[in-house]
Amino acid sequence: MPAHSPQCLTLELPPDVAYLPTAASAAENAAQVFGLDRNGTLKLSLAVEEFFAYLCRFAGREEPLRLTLSQGGTFVRVAFRFRAGDVSLRALNFAAQVDLASGPDSLSDQAAELGLLVASRTTDRCSMESSGSGVYVLTAEVDRQYPEAAPLCTPQFLIPPISVSRPEDGPLAKGLLQHAALLAAERYPVRACPASFFRPERFADMVTAGQYQALLAQDATGKPAGLLCWRASGPKSVVFSGPYVFDAAPDRVLAKETARLLAERFLSAVARTEAVCAFSERPTSDVPEGWFESLGSLTLRGEDGEGESPQAALFRHLREDVGGAVWCHPDLTPFLERQYNLLAFSRDILKAEPTQTHHTTEHSLLATSLDRRRGLAILRPLLDGQDFATNLAAHVSALKEQAQEGPPPDILLHLDLSEPWQAALYPAIRGCGFEPRLILPHAGASDLLVCQHVTAHS
Amino acid sequence: MSLPIAELVPPHIRAFEAYVPSRPDAELMRTYKVDHLHRLNNNENALGPPPAARRVLESFEPPSAAAYPSGDCFFLRQTLGERFGKDPERFLVGNGSCEVIASVIKAFCDKGDNIITADKTFAVYEWVAEFSGFQARLIPLRNQGFDSEAMLRAMNGRTKILFVCNPNNPTGTWWKRDEMERFLRGVAGRAIVVLDEAYREYVDDEDFPDGMEIMERHKNVVVFRTFSKMYALAGLRVGYVCGQKDAVDYIRRTHIVYSVNSLGQPAAAAALLDDAEHIRSTQAMVAEAKALLLPAFDELGLPYVCGAGNFAMVQTPASDSLIYRQLMRRGVMVRTMTGFRFPNWIRVSLVQQPVMRDFLSAFRDVVDLVRQGGAA
Repeated sequence: MPAHSPQCLTLELPPDVAYLPTAASAAENAAQVFGLDRNGTLKLSLAVEEFFAYLCRFAGREEPLRLTLSQGGTFVRVAFRFRAGDVSLRALNFAAQVDLASGPDSLSDQAAELGLLVASRTTDRCSMESSGSGVYVLTAEVDRQYPEAAPLCTPQFLIPPISVSRPEDGPLAKGLLQHAALLAAERYPVRACPASFFRPERFADMVTAGQYQALLAQDATGKPAGLLCWRASGPKSVVFSGPYVFDAAPDRVLAKETARLLAERFLSAVARTEAVCAFSERPTSDVPEGWFESLGSLTLRGEDGEGESPQAALFRHLREDVGGAVWCHPDLTPFLERQYNLLAFSRDILKAEPTQTHHTTEHSLLATSLDRRRGLAILRPLLDGQDFATNLAAHVSALKEQAQEGPPPDILLHLDLSEPWQAALYPAIRGCGFEPRLILPHAGASDLLVCQHVTAHS
Repeated sequence: MSLPIAELVPPHIRAFEAYVPSRPDAELMRTYKVDHLHRLNNNENALGPPPAARRVLESFEPPSAAAYPSGDCFFLRQTLGERFGKDPERFLVGNGSCEVIASVIKAFCDKGDNIITADKTFAVYEWVAEFSGFQARLIPLRNQGFDSEAMLRAMNGRTKILFVCNPNNPTGTWWKRDEMERFLRGVAGRAIVVLDEAYREYVDDEDFPDGMEIMERHKNVVVFRTFSKMYALAGLRVGYVCGQKDAVDYIRRTHIVYSVNSLGQPAAAAALLDDAEHIRSTQAMVAEAKALLLPAFDELGLPYVCGAGNFAMVQTPASDSLIYRQLMRRGVMVRTMTGFRFPNWIRVSLVQQPVMRDFLSAFRDVVDLVRQGGAA
């Protein structure tokens, strides 16, 4: 899976179900070539069939549907580019339900939405993006399957000197990355680790494919001594995890030096890239002092599911802050002013008014990511709609129900303040039990506001 | 639906970061809500241009702006030739040294070639190479200076240019004559060696290797100099390259003509006519600024690096970008060094005492604030 030669297949098909077999067979073929197993191939083919059938019926007919199948390293992605037409994508909501008994007039539409619901549930992730006026891109991904591995609890004392490098392609580096991921999974709280650390082959493949960038520290004997990894978050920032240090005595000078070397090399690596900002919502206790700034903290449930524990968020700019503008509902202004002042950020705060009801579509759409291991759900509004408040409340309920016997997940909601319509949703968000907690600078198209559902622990 | 623009763009351009210059003063002052701004971020000479250059600027007749400038900076090259005792054809003038860097890389590099420079130096060598699709081999500094031996070891059959920033921006370190000679003998004419002497006039030491003299013994050496630093003509953008006639002739083939404007050409030529006193005054100003700042950095317990040049780098007790924002709120603009791969360092231009005192006062405030945990 070389990172620099992505495999990709693109078809432009008329929005006509007569071409459904073409789309489905392309998906099946691509899934096999791109490395999905039989189950994954079936999932992808089914999703493509259902999405294509739905879009043939409801998308704008003036242009062809563009179907792109691509290999993402550890997953296969399908993307449909289409004109909005009469499309309602509410069935893609995590909390969506289709009521087939709602009445004969709408039965056909409901059945079509059922197909959409099936497609979204069979894939591992779905998202929507606007790509210009009236043009949307619907994306779904199916992951390759990787075995879970038990974290490694071998105690080790590092031997100086420590060297830090970017892992190169090849089995040796892949093995070291897997080893490092398992050491980190054992030494650090689950919350501080990417989920892929528990499926280390997946983590190594993500690095090879460029989904993650990583820095690996090794001691004089070549043993993994530390790890720091990062990925893009929006077009202007990177989000990092770590640094992870694998010395049995974390207070040793050598352990601290390893963390410092990782942080320094990380900043050198990203300093001359497109990224303006680096941040972490799960920094480890080994982050060297004075290198990152505090954005504040979230209050998450404890590791054992009981009580609460603060989760700090850190960041730093990678170049001089030139200021910027954000949209803000008037109710949110005091929070933003206070936070920007604390952070010494210069921002023009623009007033965002709620969209007039007759200008919005009936149904909203929220993206949901749920990490069961970390007990954390993150919601993002994708499309505005008249049912936004109801839909958001339904998501909170659905996420709590997902927990079944265990504690409910912590629920966060990210608002991109570059979008006035998102900023204008704030009263509905507040009304649903969310409170503003953090600003993540440049983490979206602009700054992201992180709201937390405060009754999630009740 | 039309093809997405990104699909038309070569991968090395898609991966490249566009340079974002700082905003104009008025916009920054509005943004940071301050009524003044000391620009200490670009190593500009705060004394302004030498007297003869000032007179050229003051006497510029607006109707002259209607005519194209000399396409190849004819008179400026004549003046440079007289100044350095060389054929004017051995000089090529550009719109600042950045343009000349691009011309040299275009002239000598082909697909698969590489350039060699330091990892922590003026970023434009690396940027131009990479957005042109050539590999930039970056050699870590040793003792804050260019590592000549490591640069030689990094050479291979596809190495076309070695860029040596002497003195180095931002550390101010420089190679002495012996080291330069050893390095050039090691290169043995296998590649072009660019000596970027943008800050040469700030060095007053007999052991400094003068590129204008070196190029007569090592034919593969070309020298960059600029009117933006010592001569305080940064706003007019005039820089030049000097080398052997055949090398400069090849560079000229890739170079844009008419890129240096009608005001910059005569002002630069005039600046060379009466520069002795200007250079002495500037060096004195820089020395006084160092005498004020460096003991203060010691007093604050902050490590610093300050060699040749009109700038000093100081390590900060928090992220350099936080220090930048806090200083901006106090009307002082410095350069953050993360982009130079010196995270948690800032670089400050060395200028007149009143401004240096303002900087120091604001810097002390911010350091105290950070140490007391009052900053973000």
